[in-house]
Amino acid sequence: MGLCAVARAVAAPPPVNVTLEPRQISLGETAQLTITSEGMGMDGITLPQVAGLEFRVVGQSRRVEIINGATLATTSVILRVTPETAGIFTIPGMTPNSQPLVLRVNPDNGSGSASQYNNPNLANRPPLAAGGSSTNGIRMTADGAAFVRMNLPKRDVYVGESIPVDIEVGMRAGFVQSLNGLPTLTGNDFTLNNLSRKPERVEKLVDGKPFTVLTWHSVLAPVKPGTFTLSVQSPLTIRVRTRPARDSLIDDLLGDPFMQNFFGATVAKDVTVSSPPEDLKVLALPTEGRPTDFSGAVGSFKIASDLSATTAAVGDPLTLRLHVTGTGNFDRVDTPMLEHVEQWKTYPPKSSFKESDAIGVKGEKTFEQPLIASHPGPQTLPDLTFSYFDPETRRYETARTAPPPVTIAPALADATPGAPSSATAGASATPGSLTTAGAARPTAAVPAEPSSPEMRPDHAITAGAATSLVPLYLRPTFLAVPLLALAFAGGWFGMRHRGASLGISRGRNRRSEASANRLLQPMRAAARAGDAAAFFTAACIALREALAARWQLAPEQLTADDLAARLAADANPDAAGVLEIFALADEAKYAGRDLKSIDYERWTQVVRSQLLEAT
Amino acid sequence: MRAHRDTRILLSVLALLSLGPVVVHAAPAPYSADGLYNLANSYARAGKPGLAVLNYERARLLAPTDPDIEANLRQVQKSAKVPQATPSAFERAVTIAGPTTLSWTGLGGILLLGASLVAGTSAGRSASAGGSADAGGIPSRYRWLRRASAVLGLALSGLTVCNAVVVWPQLHQAVILTPATPVRVAPVPMGDPLFVLPEAETVTMTAEHEGFVLIHSHGRSGWVAAANIAPVVPH
Repeated sequence: MGLCAVARAVAAPPPVNVTLEPRQISLGETAQLTITSEGMGMDGITLPQVAGLEFRVVGQSRRVEIINGATLATTSVILRVTPETAGIFTIPGMTPNSQPLVLRVNPDNGSGSASQYNNPNLANRPPLAAGGSSTNGIRMTADGAAFVRMNLPKRDVYVGESIPVDIEVGMRAGFVQSLNGLPTLTGNDFTLNNLSRKPERVEKLVDGKPFTVLTWHSVLAPVKPGTFTLSVQSPLTIRVRTRPARDSLIDDLLGDPFMQNFFGATVAKDVTVSSPPEDLKVLALPTEGRPTDFSGAVGSFKIASDLSATTAAVGDPLTLRLHVTGTGNFDRVDTPMLEHVEQWKTYPPKSSFKESDAIGVKGEKTFEQPLIASHPGPQTLPDLTFSYFDPETRRYETARTAPPPVTIAPALADATPGAPSSATAGASATPGSLTTAGAARPTAAVPAEPSSPEMRPDHAITAGAATSLVPLYLRPTFLAVPLLALAFAGGWFGMRHRGASLGISRGRNRRSEASANRLLQPMRAAARAGDAAAFFTAACIALREALAARWQLAPEQLTADDLAARLAADANPDAAGVLEIFALADEAKYAGRDLKSIDYERWTQVVRSQLLEAT
Repeated sequence: MRAHRDTRILLSVLALLSLGPVVVHAAPAPYSADGLYNLANSYARAGKPGLAVLNYERARLLAPTDPDIEANLRQVQKSAKVPQATPSAFERAVTIAGPTTLSWTGLGGILLLGASLVAGTSAGRSASAGGSADAGGIPSRYRWLRRASAVLGLALSGLTVCNAVVVWPQLHQAVILTPATPVRVAPVPMGDPLFVLPEAETVTMTAEHEGFVLIHSHGRSGWVAAANIAPVVPH
């Protein structure tokens, strides 16, 4: 409808008056541009186009005045100017003769905005919504579309303490388009744990206006002592009114967001809504009186203990349970339970937590420690203790519980049979170490009948007994017998083999000696007779036989030249002597040389050495 | 003469070595196959199949040919619904006597084999020396006796070795003593259970650690608390 009016006004003459109120606004606020023209139309006026500003026609009015019989008509068009960014904007004149208007848009006027712009991590985030009224700890956005509130305890807290907090994000029905994320804490002095994904949703009236309130229950944990300012913020997309505040009554009257949007009364805008900052004093845990087993648990706790069984056998694993119930930081609730207990073997405990509220501040943490008794008899386990700091009493507390007594029976493998038959009543059956044959069957002379008809009856003990169940042939004392026998047999055959080898060698030597003596016999006889010719002739015969045998020739095939060549080839040390013997023999035989001064013994040794070497 | 002296030395050494078994018998004798069998029957009557099977297995180690032990063991295993092992033909063949009997049999076989070898060596020496019986060796007409003794000795000792091969795994077996014994993935009480073994089942032990025993049973393995299991042959 407004657009139609503007279209008609385009062609009208331009006696136009343009006003802008206010001239300075903050981001998130709107200004009103009023174009007043004389006459019944707005012809010749075009809507301004300014980057960063959105213009929207929100209304039109006409006024007719009769003055002294003259009729004066004026038409006004109201535009809503909504800045998209901060800055100084110049709105050109509606007609060529009108002056431009200047609109100054400040970044933000809401509290907490300074921290947002000072924090580089938040530089790219949507602007905080303009702060509005703050009643009952609630600070609305400028147009009252949303709020964020955090409920904190009104006392000092301690480092490590789990502080339950409720974070409420209130959204005016129809004015908040979407929730763009979970609430977050500002600053790094606290951690926000266990923020539930599904908040509680309630509808309530705040300052008489309907709000949808989402509530997150969470746990705040201070990480260091000091006094800190705490705030929580939440990203939202809200519908910003495009009418002046005084016109918002119309929106309220319309009530229905559909109707408001239909008439173009709002625009979508991403904002971050923050809660009013609150101071919280965090105290350090006192060092005085701190128990040695203090693990950092802060809260109010009670403990109890139980055992998986009050009777067990040696070696049976038992489970000792310690139940810690109460309110506090259960993530720091820890205990080693029992360590180094005499006659018990202990293992490190494992824990499980069963929370009884949505945020894990209340619940029961159960520690389970496996234990194994090493000795039979009644046993009493030591008391279990758990130390924590109580922020209400402001001091350390140590809770104590006594596990129930337990009776340990001998190991099942060493146990006496529970109710054996009369045949073995009173028998001491010790399967682990086994009983003696007599003890196992004290009344063996009277075999008992088995209860089951399929089972065969007992035996009368007639067979011999053994000291071990290990077969005799696997016992070291018995194994030594065949092993030593084998070693003896091996040594026996080794000695026999070596003895046989020595015998063969000796026999061969004896045969060589005899053969040499046989060939030397004529030489010795000639030497005794002083017959040099016969001596060397016998020596030649002996040497020829020996050397021919060595070279595998017939004696008659051995010539003088061949002899010299083979002796040289063998590098025989007596080669010269052998050749001289042959030469002397020829001289004595064919030249008739007198060899009276001959050394028979020397030549005999030469021949003997050749004979022995040949054999 | 020399061969005669060697034979005397051999006999003296063997007589000395035979003191080992004599020493074994000098110790007290606590185990009896009949006593263990009767004890197992008592456990079976008392409704303790684990301990019953344990003592049957122990009795069977001492008297593997006792049909009563075998029958009652199978009866208890059947009642406890645990798997029963069926011996192969080879196992039955080499378990024709108790381990003690087979021990002495094997020793006798070794001695017989050794004596035949010694006699053969002496006979060979006598033959090489040109004499026969008059040289102190065994006459050559008794050579078949030497060979028969060697074969018999080899067979007896081989039987004992085969029996040892069959018995050896039984020495590393154990019996579950408690119902629904959990077999865990690690040797710690809080180890996750892999499977559950029934009471009276026989398993094979392969390792021990901190009060737990690593067992194998039908292709599965895991750790069992030592309190829930008893080895067939006590440590």
